[in-house]
Amino acid sequence: MRINLSDDILLNVKKPAKYTGNEWNMVRKNPEDVDVRFAFCFPDDYEIGMSHLGMKILYHILNKREDTYCERVFAPWTDMEEKLRKNNIPLFSLETYTPLSEFDMVGFTLQYEMSYTNILNMLDLGGIPVLAKDRKDKMPFVLAGGPCAVNPEPLADFIDFFVIGEGEEVTNEIIDEYKVWKSSGESREEFLIRIAKIEGIYVPGFYDVDYNEDGTVKSITPNREGVPSRVKRRIIEDLDKVDFPEDIIVPYVGTVHDRIMLEIFRGCIRGCRFCQAGFIYRPLRERSYEKLLDIAKKSVEKTGYEEISLVSLSTSDYSKLPELCNNLIEYTEEEKVNLSLPSLRLDNFSLQLMEKASKVRKSGLTFAPEAGSQRLRDVINKGITEEDLFNSVKIAVAGGWNSVKLYFMMGLPTETMEDVEAIGELGIKLLDQCRDIPNGKSLKITLSTSCFVPKPFTPFQWEPMDEMEKLMEKQLHLKNTIRKHRKITYNYHDAKLSMLEAVLARGDRRTGQVLYTAWKKGCKFDGWAEFFDFNKWMEAFEECGLDPEFYANRRRSFSEVLPWDHINIGVTKRFLQKECEKAYKGEVTRNCSENCSFCGAQGYKTGICFSEQRSDQKNG
Amino acid sequence: MAKVLRFRFTRGPQLKYLSHLDVLRVFERALRRSQLPVEYTQGFNPRMRIVFGLPMSTGLTSEAEYADIVLQKDVTCDDFVSILNENMPAGMEILEAVELTGQDNIMKQIEAALYSIIIETDKSEDEINSMISEIFSQDELKVMKRTKRGVRPVNIRPLIYKLEAVEKGNNVFELIAFVSAGLDNNLRADLLMEAIIEKYDFNVKILSIHRKALYTKDSNGWKDPFEVSDGERCNN
Ligand code: SF4
Repeated sequence: MRINLSDDILLNVKKPAKYTGNEWNMVRKNPEDVDVRFAFCFPDDYEIGMSHLGMKILYHILNKREDTYCERVFAPWTDMEEKLRKNNIPLFSLETYTPLSEFDMVGFTLQYEMSYTNILNMLDLGGIPVLAKDRKDKMPFVLAGGPCAVNPEPLADFIDFFVIGEGEEVTNEIIDEYKVWKSSGESREEFLIRIAKIEGIYVPGFYDVDYNEDGTVKSITPNREGVPSRVKRRIIEDLDKVDFPEDIIVPYVGTVHDRIMLEIFRGCIRGCRFCQAGFIYRPLRERSYEKLLDIAKKSVEKTGYEEISLVSLSTSDYSKLPELCNNLIEYTEEEKVNLSLPSLRLDNFSLQLMEKASKVRKSGLTFAPEAGSQRLRDVINKGITEEDLFNSVKIAVAGGWNSVKLYFMMGLPTETMEDVEAIGELGIKLLDQCRDIPNGKSLKITLSTSCFVPKPFTPFQWEPMDEMEKLMEKQLHLKNTIRKHRKITYNYHDAKLSMLEAVLARGDRRTGQVLYTAWKKGCKFDGWAEFFDFNKWMEAFEECGLDPEFYANRRRSFSEVLPWDHINIGVTKRFLQKECEKAYKGEVTRNCSENCSFCGAQGYKTGICFSEQRSDQKNG
Repeated sequence: MAKVLRFRFTRGPQLKYLSHLDVLRVFERALRRSQLPVEYTQGFNPRMRIVFGLPMSTGLTSEAEYADIVLQKDVTCDDFVSILNENMPAGMEILEAVELTGQDNIMKQIEAALYSIIIETDKSEDEINSMISEIFSQDELKVMKRTKRGVRPVNIRPLIYKLEAVEKGNNVFELIAFVSAGLDNNLRADLLMEAIIEKYDFNVKILSIHRKALYTKDSNGWKDPFEVSDGERCNN
């Protein structure tokens, strides 16, 4: 069935071009000519989803196969949803306007917890039963992957199977198996049994969760033969060997990251203890700069984009940064393409780079010290000193920047009111430091605090999150600390939203009921302040007989079975515990390029763990 | 040697949901893909030297959009049209181009537009025609318009040059509207319809609005924007 959208609908919603597809480089195939139809779903608005690199990669990988057609589906904005529901139009793909229920596979990417209700809503809008157990033969398989899949449990009731880790290779294995299964005439369950044997695939229905009397998890065990007791995360060994998309779709409407994204490496050497990305993508693996240059040029030729951005967790850690940037700048200048270099640690070299690369207005520059005091920065293993920060900002100010934004987290483990004050004091000291340098008097500082949310697979996965009242008290305290300083602005995140994120991040299978109930009450687009309805969520907890504080604000013991213990991320629980204990003592851990701590990721036998570049390797 | 080309392009129904800003982006990216030698502005933030005739609002289709572009080198109109077309998305096509010598840019030249507005209504042909006569018999047709100083009533009657109805059967009519357009005194087709609907309590459903032509003007009267040039002209 091909959905037809009338002008009555399209001319009465905001940005109708989000729903009509047909963009440059959109893949066109005849659905009749393929064996597998795959709907790649992003559970948020088009403008967010189209900015997502992972989707571009998998869209490309899947569509390279002649036997498969991958199409895109986004969460319709509320004005559009209303029209779809009123006119009984199911949610459809942008490529061929096919209802979601007609696909073989429907895959969601899990980028942030607050998009979960949108997944339920999209399934419902697409005519697919929301609960996995209600899906019958001939209905699509619903899968999910992405960073949040490392704790799949809150979504276990809704998703047929999860893909843990990087998708380039395993996706092909799934499609291959699907074709074999489809021609075999076997039951729905038999397909799941087949793929449960693929490394990186987690079929939640094949695992039973038992609970202790106190509500903690007792055990998570496979309930049938041939299913692994722990599911190992997949990674790509050599990034140069997998395809990277050059012919990416060029949207008509402006999107959040409307540019070419050049992924320079995966993983991170730093190991900041609060940061999930720092652990779940280990080990660090780079793309060669020759390959990157080639991708950059071909991407510009095939898309016509006016901007290239380097993408990674920490640009400065790329081992061949000067070679890459000098060559890129030469090319981008010639072609009148902008180059943006995010997350650079600021020193003279990077400042020069930025000067040369981007013709950006010298307005805002951002830094992320994450904690105000040196003590707390040691606790979280954020290897940045006050000195570093002062030097960087002075360089920037002398170079013409006049506003600086500093990011911090509030509620970090062991944080005291003195640590909170230290955030304000850091801002004040910074103003002092810059007073006497040229241009320094015009400096304006923004302090921004988010609420620390403990995440699975980090050394802080056992930590309680600060209670909401506590967080609000700290926010107020910081406000007072800087009250007299007009050159400092302070803004902070909503503690309620963070609290909910904390529940879903470390939730067990039972939190799925809360998700379901909240969605039934109308929760969606929870990440958007205008739609987030905290009270509805609290009602949902109440109705399900679950206590949000049990998940968010309780200290878990090291011996507790965690809801995600059956997922093997590569980094060991033992290492994370050691890191947590070091945190309490304020001991820092050196980064992977200085010294290997044998976190467990060496098991992947690739990347930085075996690199000659590592100084401890060099010195024997 | 820099060279200035004026070109005409279409916007088909599949791309009518784009905003004017989206259309600008489409061209910038298509031009970069085409590797045509587009001239850039000097300065800190170089931009392609391209100027569009009249913004296209969302929902409109057109066979008469115009733009002027400055090229660094000599490119024939033929090559320009075919190379750019290879890089345009389906639904937007360059129809023809002409070399310009020393004129104002297109944005400054446009003075009128011709629209075809397809409507469905239970009114008869006679009723519609008498309504049109009445419009022209009066000096005023007021409508609320969003201006820089807020929403205020404006008189659009002097901006309507011609209005005609053609019956298409099944209660469907084509209104052909020739109206003022351009930098000053632009009358959008949807605003014209709003004014008529409001004033005459006209029960109508607008099925489509299509731009058929844009005009410039000189001492001899209305002119096709290509006629102001005596340069080489080519069709696709
Ligand atoms: S094994 Fe060593 S080098 Fe590899 S990611 Fe872990 S700490 Fe870093």
